Amino acid sequence: MQQMADSPLPEPTPRRSQRSGWMGLVYLSPALFLVAVFFLLPVGMTIWMSLHDWPLIGKARWIGIANYTRLWGDARFWDALWFTVQYTFAATIGLLGVAFALALMVQREGRAVAFYRTAYFLPVVTGFASASLLWVWLANVDSGLFSPAADALGLTDGRVNLLASFTPAFLLVTIMVVWKMAGFYMIILMSGLQAIPSDYREAARIDGAGRMQRFRWITMPLVRQPFALALILCVSSSMLAFDQFYIILSGGPHNQTVTAVYKIFNESFVSFRLGYGAALSMVLLAILMVLSVIQLILLRDREPGK
Amino acid sequence: MKHQITGAVMMAALAWSGLARAEEFSLWVRSDGSEYMPKLVDAFNAKGEHTAKLQIVTTDELVQKYAIASAGGSAPDALSLDLIYTPAFAEAGQLKDMTDFAKSLDYFDSLSKAHLSVATFEDRIYGLPFSGDASILLWNKDLYEKAGLDPEKGPKSWAEIEDQARTIAGLGDDIYGFYFSGQCGGCAIFTFAPLIWASGGDLLQENGRKATLTDPKMVAAVEFYRGMVEDGLVPAGAETDGGTNFFSAFANGNIGIAPSGSFAIGALDNRYPDLNFGVTFLPGQTEGEWSSFAGGDNIVISHGTPDEKVSAIEAFIQFAYSLEGQTILANNGVVPVRGDIAKEALKDLDDRYAISAEAMAGGHTPYTTLFNDLINSRNGPWITALSAAWFASSADKAKAALEAGEEEMQSIIDSAN
Repeated sequence: MQQMADSPLPEPTPRRSQRSGWMGLVYLSPALFLVAVFFLLPVGMTIWMSLHDWPLIGKARWIGIANYTRLWGDARFWDALWFTVQYTFAATIGLLGVAFALALMVQREGRAVAFYRTAYFLPVVTGFASASLLWVWLANVDSGLFSPAADALGLTDGRVNLLASFTPAFLLVTIMVVWKMAGFYMIILMSGLQAIPSDYREAARIDGAGRMQRFRWITMPLVRQPFALALILCVSSSMLAFDQFYIILSGGPHNQTVTAVYKIFNESFVSFRLGYGAALSMVLLAILMVLSVIQLILLRDREPGK
Repeated sequence: MKHQITGAVMMAALAWSGLARAEEFSLWVRSDGSEYMPKLVDAFNAKGEHTAKLQIVTTDELVQKYAIASAGGSAPDALSLDLIYTPAFAEAGQLKDMTDFAKSLDYFDSLSKAHLSVATFEDRIYGLPFSGDASILLWNKDLYEKAGLDPEKGPKSWAEIEDQARTIAGLGDDIYGFYFSGQCGGCAIFTFAPLIWASGGDLLQENGRKATLTDPKMVAAVEFYRGMVEDGLVPAGAETDGGTNFFSAFANGNIGIAPSGSFAIGALDNRYPDLNFGVTFLPGQTEGEWSSFAGGDNIVISHGTPDEKVSAIEAFIQFAYSLEGQTILANNGVVPVRGDIAKEALKDLDDRYAISAEAMAGGHTPYTTLFNDLINSRNGPWITALSAAWFASSADKAKAALEAGEEEMQSIIDSAN
């Protein structure tokens, strides 16, 4: 306070705002530099590569937009993308549903609650690859857990190879992802729930609102923002799914679980067509951007009075 | 006497290359070679002429790592390359022409033909045979004895495999007659394709330009496997095995018969000394026919390697071809690639190794620049079609899967040309 009172009168406004504009840029420059080096530059490189026939070994050749015209007719890519959308749908419903239920359970304080919170969060800290390997073993028909256990309990007639047909294989991977990631979204939603001032709920209770009414009219509208964050994170990471399908299913049974990123990986590093892989990546990037914008618009806070 | 002559030739070769000053060159090998390569390199470096700097690279990542190093100008001077990639590397202009050096070797004619066939691109030689790995059939002698079969006689035809597998599967719930990895394209080309070659069929014809998955012999071989799957002679896990249990399934001791590779003989002896097993050829449909996938590595020189290092690499190759080199390789589970001294190099080892050397000599290697796309890829048409066909519920469905696979393969071949 003292310092402020002693300081001279501020300079005239125009000069000052110009200088602070430059200062702002200086403060921003480390962040801008990082964005440029780690995002803009690689994206630029990818665009450049996507305009070439760029083999993993050998010389690149400029081919203009031929990669893009080719992908238009590449049924396997669109199949992979359609599968990814289906998976994203299933995984997002599963993840956010379970995460929301968990968040409601662990939002209060207490020693036992802290224990459960940690327990639910634990799978998040294992890597996707190691979690997938664990489930590969769990799902093994000869030496794993699920099939022999179901057989021993009499649930199935003999051992069933869960990974050999589409529906059980797809469910298995989706459940594994929910088990692994629900804790993460639980934390996001929980912080949102805790940020709701308790006065609102108390006031509603005094007014005679029931449990369901309080949930519908107070909790739901007020967790909208953290929910939007969780939704965008969940959709974009599911659209980029790869490890679990590569490690657990190798894209099987019969190539029915090849995701978009898996297809890009195959084109780039199995078929050695880096240029084509880059073109597919650009399409996926565009789709992700559109999806994120749509979600942001849908979940935008409505302006007061509307 | 023969030994002395070869020794003299080798000394002369070393002395000649020794006129140039000592050079150091870098050499890469895939991790499958981590048993024999360090020993060979140590023996070579101990001669004091030149120095090879060895780097071992994970098998699955070798091509990618090489490509990245090559783009960044730091490719290794020489590389022991899985022979099936030699056509693709040569076509991409990554390799040095080794024709003159190859033709100058006295024993050029006794080097593995299968290796040389894939190392030759447009009549020039871009790689020389280095290590051999042939596919063979293993049977568990202890289980044969328990089942009342002759433990010293392996199966000699498809019908015998099926009969004997059935007898062994009758031993108990946890014992199975036969095993194969049902989701592994590399395993299938290595161990299933020879059944077709032995019977006179093929999956790729016209120098890799025509896919023939509906070859009658292929259809028959698929039916042979499908029958064993349907009758429960194969464990259920085979259907989704992407190659992880290719070796270990038989090693666990509850499988009667399994196709495998010569590498497995040494690995089983070292790691599972209690397992009592026999080695025979992968048979054809009728008795007396057999074939093998002649696999292994070619040694190649990177396009950008300076000339003064090339002579050091050539000295290394000649050392590997000497009796000493071939013996080091043979003692570490590699099938010798030099036919004229293979017997001598193998003389301290039992005849199971001799069978794999014979299998190698009579083996076959498919030629295609699209090996990864067509065959090795986990989602490629070869394994997708086979896996659908082996585990199909009827012969018609199996046939349909092969037809779809053939079409897909052909479209990949056509679009690449």
